[in-house]
Amino acid sequence: MTEPSRRPSLRTWIVLALALLVVGATAIVIGVTGQQSAPQPTAGTRSATAVPSRPAAPTDSIPNSGVEAPDAPAADVAEPVSVTLPSIGVTSDLMRLGLNDDGTVQVPPLEERDRAGWYERGPAPGAVGPAILLGHVDSAAYGPGIFFDLGAVQAGDTIEVSRADGSVAEFVVDRVEVHPKAEFPTIDVYGNTDDAQLRLITCGGDFDSAVRSYEDNVIVFATLAGTRPA
Amino acid sequence: MRKAFALPTVALAAAAFPLLAMSSASAHEGASSYQADLGALNQSGVTGTGMVTMDGNQVTVMIEASGLLEGSPHAQHFHIGAQGTCPTDADDTNADGFVSVTEGAPFYGAIGSSLTTSGDTSPDSGLAIDRFPTTGTISYERTFEVTDDVHASFEAGTAVLVLHGVDKDGSGAYDGTVMSDLDPSLPMEATAPAACGTLAAAQMGTAPSGGAETGAGSTAGVEQSTAFGAGAVALVGAAAAGAVAYRRRSADQA
Repeated sequence: MTEPSRRPSLRTWIVLALALLVVGATAIVIGVTGQQSAPQPTAGTRSATAVPSRPAAPTDSIPNSGVEAPDAPAADVAEPVSVTLPSIGVTSDLMRLGLNDDGTVQVPPLEERDRAGWYERGPAPGAVGPAILLGHVDSAAYGPGIFFDLGAVQAGDTIEVSRADGSVAEFVVDRVEVHPKAEFPTIDVYGNTDDAQLRLITCGGDFDSAVRSYEDNVIVFATLAGTRPA
Repeated sequence: MRKAFALPTVALAAAAFPLLAMSSASAHEGASSYQADLGALNQSGVTGTGMVTMDGNQVTVMIEASGLLEGSPHAQHFHIGAQGTCPTDADDTNADGFVSVTEGAPFYGAIGSSLTTSGDTSPDSGLAIDRFPTTGTISYERTFEVTDDVHASFEAGTAVLVLHGVDKDGSGAYDGTVMSDLDPSLPMEATAPAACGTLAAAQMGTAPSGGAETGAGSTAGVEQSTAFGAGAVALVGAAAAGAVAYRRRSADQA
């Protein structure tokens, strides 16, 4: 060891290697633990609906068949302004949503401040019929969306919709379902109902990265429990 | 000069305007949805729901029904141009034990569209038994063009959804001694209405088609890519530093 130590010593290299090893391992651990995925409805709810090979829905799931549904007094109910889901800590203003050119429902734009929306070509929340609210589970650019936790909502949870006249419609969740988009239960979700109903829709299931789309829709079904005046 | 130029421009803009208006109106502004809650006829026990979304003359028809005879064809139609109502089992005017199509016609009218599984959908296919559902539980969806009279009947509230074919004697097949009023070679059970419902404006003004694209994916993939990247770089650095240290040690020993 007569060589002058202009170059770093053996010990320096070993210390450097160990330090980088610790830093690298820490970063990977942060990456793994920081990974999040949207909650899915409990197994019981899902298994009831996740039978893709059966094309026909059982009849008893068809709402009010043979029943003459009353006319929706849509004019009596003020338009929705915001929705609150206390059980998952979500409050969102509601934008207006219509239809795309292909007849599918519009979804809110992908923005940093993600909002849910009301499908305005259907009943208003609190009017007789199926009122529809939609929100993103996530977006590629901004991460978790406004309805990221919708799959964690459970039967009995409350949903509040504030309306333009200052009144608040209170809904109670009946059930949460997951359906492949290819077998979307149109009549169950959009068909006539005997009373004032609310459906909250987001995405779920496996993400098909080839088409940048989730394979399933998560749908929360709720019924009007009461209305607080302005 | 400028004025002479302006006039043709205005004329062109005016001529183009209807085109612009048309293209924006194509976004389903006029589409509307109808629903029929099916009630049983001829004691069929059939229940179900039909939903029709009409955009111009294009209809998307969905029918979910159950309680029909398994393994036998069920003709299904839009009936149009009458009262827009359904008969009851009491309307068996000839007392043969069946409410027949003939006896139902004063209420729900003639066939406007045949809701076949493929091919022609005109009244000509009204008894095209090889192109109708044959299951006890029907889950039908099809998009096709209807004629102007069918469209008008929807708007007038006189369109009626009727499903045919009922195993009234419970034998498991269409049979019996009463023959069909439509085709004397067929048993009455094969053509008698099994379920009927008036197609009225749905609560959902326009039901969207299919599911919703409410996720663009990010949480489904890798989120903490920076952390993973930094980790990878650090680990590569650790390996490199380790390799240098190992070589240095080997060289020192030599």
